[in-house]
Amino acid sequence: MSEPVVVIRDLHKEFRRDAIRIPVLSGMNLEMAEGDFLSLMGPSGSGKSTLLNLIAGLDKPTSGTVIVVGEDLSDLTEGELAQWRSRYIGFVFQLYNLIPVLTAYENVELPLTLTGLSRRERDQQVKTALDVVGLADRMDHFPRQLSGGQEQRVAIARAIATDPTLLVADEPTGDLDAQSAGEILDLMQRLNSEFGKTIIMVTHDPHAAERASRQLHLEKGVLVDDVSVTATNQEQP
Amino acid sequence: MTVLGTGLVVWAMVLTFGLTDGLEHALRISGHPLDIIVLRKGATDETGSSITPQQAQELATLDGVARNANGEPMCSAEFVTILTKPRRNNGGTTNMIVRGVETIGRDLRPDFEIVQGRDLRPGLNEAITSASMASRFENLSLGEKLEINRVDFEIVGFFEAGGSAAESEVWTDIRDLASARRTPDAVTTVNLRVSDESAEQSLIATIQDDKQFNLKAIEETQYYEDQMTSAIAIKFVGYVIALFLTIGAMFAAANTMYAAVANRSREIGTLRALGFRRRSILFSFLFESVLICVLGGVLGCLATLPFNGLTTGTANWATFSEITFSFRFGPTVLMRGVLIALLTGLVGGLFPAIRAVRMQIVNSLREQ
Repeated sequence: MSEPVVVIRDLHKEFRRDAIRIPVLSGMNLEMAEGDFLSLMGPSGSGKSTLLNLIAGLDKPTSGTVIVVGEDLSDLTEGELAQWRSRYIGFVFQLYNLIPVLTAYENVELPLTLTGLSRRERDQQVKTALDVVGLADRMDHFPRQLSGGQEQRVAIARAIATDPTLLVADEPTGDLDAQSAGEILDLMQRLNSEFGKTIIMVTHDPHAAERASRQLHLEKGVLVDDVSVTATNQEQP
Repeated sequence: MTVLGTGLVVWAMVLTFGLTDGLEHALRISGHPLDIIVLRKGATDETGSSITPQQAQELATLDGVARNANGEPMCSAEFVTILTKPRRNNGGTTNMIVRGVETIGRDLRPDFEIVQGRDLRPGLNEAITSASMASRFENLSLGEKLEINRVDFEIVGFFEAGGSAAESEVWTDIRDLASARRTPDAVTTVNLRVSDESAEQSLIATIQDDKQFNLKAIEETQYYEDQMTSAIAIKFVGYVIALFLTIGAMFAAANTMYAAVANRSREIGTLRALGFRRRSILFSFLFESVLICVLGGVLGCLATLPFNGLTTGTANWATFSEITFSFRFGPTVLMRGVLIALLTGLVGGLFPAIRAVRMQIVNSLREQ
């Protein structure tokens, strides 16, 4: 069996507001295998986004270990973390976070500029990524010329363009109508099943969570439920 | 707004620099490195000096005095007087230098040339001046008559003298002027050129040391340098204004960039999440700020071009007369303007850029 993509041991995270310490994650343990599609559910303030940020190397734990793609993140400096993220992590945000002055093509190309690939190789990867999300014909469009669902698909293309090991998605359907949300979830499921991408997704939406192969429930910083879903459940649209 | 603000600041500063540069240039080129000005001992400028015609003649015979193509000594006895005359367009009155010269005096000015009308003829109470003087003073246009002690001098020509201080004067024949002033044979200054640099100091020493002469000789370059007080004053005021304007522009640039950082927090967070390093983001914000300010700077410089060569005047505090000169926007002046814009962008953009990269990624991503 291959090494887990995510290993979390006794993870604590607390925030400070002046002199007050607010614990967000308390002693969490978690493992995530390669090819997992994991959804993180829980009420607001339960710590799911914090957990996602820690796994993605955007934040540092107060204590405990976060090992992602074989790398103990607490050992990395700020600069090394940035490089690590560009190589192993693909981000999908709730509000898409596309750069408004760049076209769909340029937005997808953005993370590739950090890889040292030649222009031709970048071009190939951008087109492949846009093809996967079904927006090859919109590559010259600016974000404002696209619908919300299309913007999110461009954002997904950006996330997969560098072929990262782990995709992290923070409420990817939170700002979309039901139909667009369904399309985005279809796409994510496809990325998981067809392309073998390991995905971790934070969501409020139980229907979205059901698309994942494994559902985690957090409450007050503690993992209260860990359910693996059968393949049949996942197939539903 | 920042482009416009920086543009205005650079425009104002380049104008000031162009002004002082023009004035300095006018005074600098007025002094020929081989020319000597001889004045009465104790006189600080030509108007306060007095020399006898005999002394002037003797000076011409001294060793080391250069000779022109005709073999004449390049030694010009001149009579300088100051008149108070009305400016054009009801600009009040101001002092004007009138110089009585001999023919040889023209050879001692850089690039002396009659550009309109003709040169004056001695004995006919004729005068010549520059076009810029004619535009600033009443009665100096071609054919007009300038009254000196109730004697009318007709303006018969305009000359140029390489933009030197001579272009701030009215020239007549020395004897016509002395006669009108009722001071026959008066000489205030002797202007002479030495044959070579080595002769200069020995000639100066000869003149200074001769007790009978009781005269002082100064290098012409030094003489005009001493008159640069007004240029220095304008420059000082200019630099003080420039400093405050630049600080103001830096705040404007900082304000724009702070707003840019605030509006783009999420973008900054996204870029950093994707793996862009802090310094890339710092440089991109600095670059943007510099670009905005340099664009303003270039526009500001372009906006000064209509003033290039425009003639203006200021008081020469040594002679209390008006000196006319042109704005000069050479590459140095314009480059200085663009450099200030660049500095404005750098300093103005620095703190917002630092703020942009110091934000926590997680917090930036949360911004709307």
